[in-house]
Amino acid sequence: MPPIIDKEKCNACGVCADICCMDVFKVVDKKKSPIIRYPEECWHCNACVLDCKHEALSLRIPLPSMMLHVDANVATD
Amino acid sequence: MITIDRKPIETDVLIVGGGIAGLMAAINAADHGVSVTVAEKANTKRSGCGATGNDHFMCYLPEIHGNDITPVIAEYKNSQVGGFSDLSLATTFLEQSSARVKDWDNWGISMRPKGKWDFSGHAFPGRPRIWLKYAGHNQKEVLTREAKKRGVRIENHLPITDIITNADGVAIGAMGIDTRDDNPIIKLFKAKSLVLTTGCGSRLYPAPTPGWMFNTANCPSCTGGAQAMAFRAGAKLINMEFPQRHAGPKYFARCGKATWIGLYKDPAGEIVGPFVKKATRELGDITGDIWSSVFTDMHRSGEGPVYMDCSATSKEDYEYMMWGLVEEGDTGMLNYMSDQGIDPQKHQIEFMQYEPFLCGRGIEININARSSVEGLYAAGDPVGNFRADIAGAATFGWIAGESAAERAKGVDRFLDINDSTIVEDRGALYSSFIEKESGADWKEANLALQQIMGDYAGVDVRSETLLKAGLKYLKDLKTKATSTLSATNSHTLLRAIESMDLIDCGETVLSAAIERKETRQQHIRSDFPFTNPLLANKFLTVKQQEGEIHMEWREKR
Repeated sequence: MPPIIDKEKCNACGVCADICCMDVFKVVDKKKSPIIRYPEECWHCNACVLDCKHEALSLRIPLPSMMLHVDANVATD
Repeated sequence: MITIDRKPIETDVLIVGGGIAGLMAAINAADHGVSVTVAEKANTKRSGCGATGNDHFMCYLPEIHGNDITPVIAEYKNSQVGGFSDLSLATTFLEQSSARVKDWDNWGISMRPKGKWDFSGHAFPGRPRIWLKYAGHNQKEVLTREAKKRGVRIENHLPITDIITNADGVAIGAMGIDTRDDNPIIKLFKAKSLVLTTGCGSRLYPAPTPGWMFNTANCPSCTGGAQAMAFRAGAKLINMEFPQRHAGPKYFARCGKATWIGLYKDPAGEIVGPFVKKATRELGDITGDIWSSVFTDMHRSGEGPVYMDCSATSKEDYEYMMWGLVEEGDTGMLNYMSDQGIDPQKHQIEFMQYEPFLCGRGIEININARSSVEGLYAAGDPVGNFRADIAGAATFGWIAGESAAERAKGVDRFLDINDSTIVEDRGALYSSFIEKESGADWKEANLALQQIMGDYAGVDVRSETLLKAGLKYLKDLKTKATSTLSATNSHTLLRAIESMDLIDCGETVLSAAIERKETRQQHIRSDFPFTNPLLANKFLTVKQQEGEIHMEWREKR
């Protein structure tokens, strides 16, 4: 479930937790990366990924949100 | 008892919700020389449906459309947002929209990112094009900066929960909850005017994934708070009975269908709509706007699925589309597509119609953005008698800011909020959630609400017997939720309060749906399967007075 913090890259600035509109993150220790406390409430808005200056954030889109697609022009073949 | 900070924050104008409408209201109120505070549930830089971008800004630009606004008004009426608006409000919006476009462009939100005014998307062949394509990715950051530049006080992570009215029914303040810490603190505000701008109402109906509430096209943090607060304060809501649904990629719920440049096709490769044979950036396939249930209809008939096919789109237009999806704020979806190897040039994406939500269904305002409660204004998605999405939020937010500021200037002092029992009553309710050692999780209340709304106030069938049963069950749920909801910290407390707000919204939907005894648009009554011409020019309002719901019909204005 999204989001995922790469602890090697994270400098614990807390921006992701501050700007997340769903309050998915929680800063427990200001010297450490936030924890992902409510991952199932992620909206996949990507704000944390966009605003992380250290490129430490990524989203893992859960299986039920898989985008259904088929090859173009051969939809039912 | 939750701690109540008894020292109120005094502000001439209190803006409830820092989205597009809220920040525009704040900026203009500050420009009128009053003190302004924005109380925001999350952080104004990245909150709400415009958090990471938007696609189109509907507007009338005389330099493009000519000096006659009439054809643009007609186009608005026929657009996907025009069906439930008072024309007087829509006309005011269009008249002022040009100035707001120029403001945004001057502040650093690029309104002509391709070097010209670019009206692409949501357009019919041979008709005026009124949706301006712009670069919205930084809009919240820019508007936050402009508000701060003017001295606006922004209180992030402090959602307002209730409006405080005095014995005369005038809005004089508000209470909110500071959620910065796990231990919530109730904060009080004294204000001379209030502007409600909390966005749309998501999480009212079951979303595409069973049991999951956050896979929604619109921001799931927007939960009908303004509508519910206004309703409890005695304000009139309007158009609540009409379901409103978006469409987009199936199972990855996301707005922005008009940014896709392709054709809607059936599995045999046939184009399902009559509007275009080749999609271009100027004229995409508008079938999804006009026949938004096409995805549901063709699924049910067995003719589906319906796909968005961009494979014949030119390379230049494809690149324009991918740029547009970034500016729309859909980078989460684009990253996913890239990771999964989903390429719109090679793959067709199935589209679906999403669940109903509240947008353009809510608070009745007048031409000055004032609600039916004195001192209380509203703008943006929670307004019920006007809708133009981001452009409507920007323009009527601006109007609300001026109106609220002008009223505040005429009020000589802050009124005493301690005379009201609202703080004690609501504070006691919220405290009871926190104080229970065990009870119902907020998710139980929200899901219970969704199943009632889906089954008894849904889009497939409505009837007096179903709606009345639904209203009874909803009231039962409200009683049970009130007595059993339990929260462990400020986060789950907020979710519990949101669930209660949504229950209040649901009650107004069910009540109004019972009263509208006809079938119109997506309000489908099996017991009244016809559209009644006598109701064509009438809107239905719903309000609460001394615990009772009152409904009134009125002519469109």
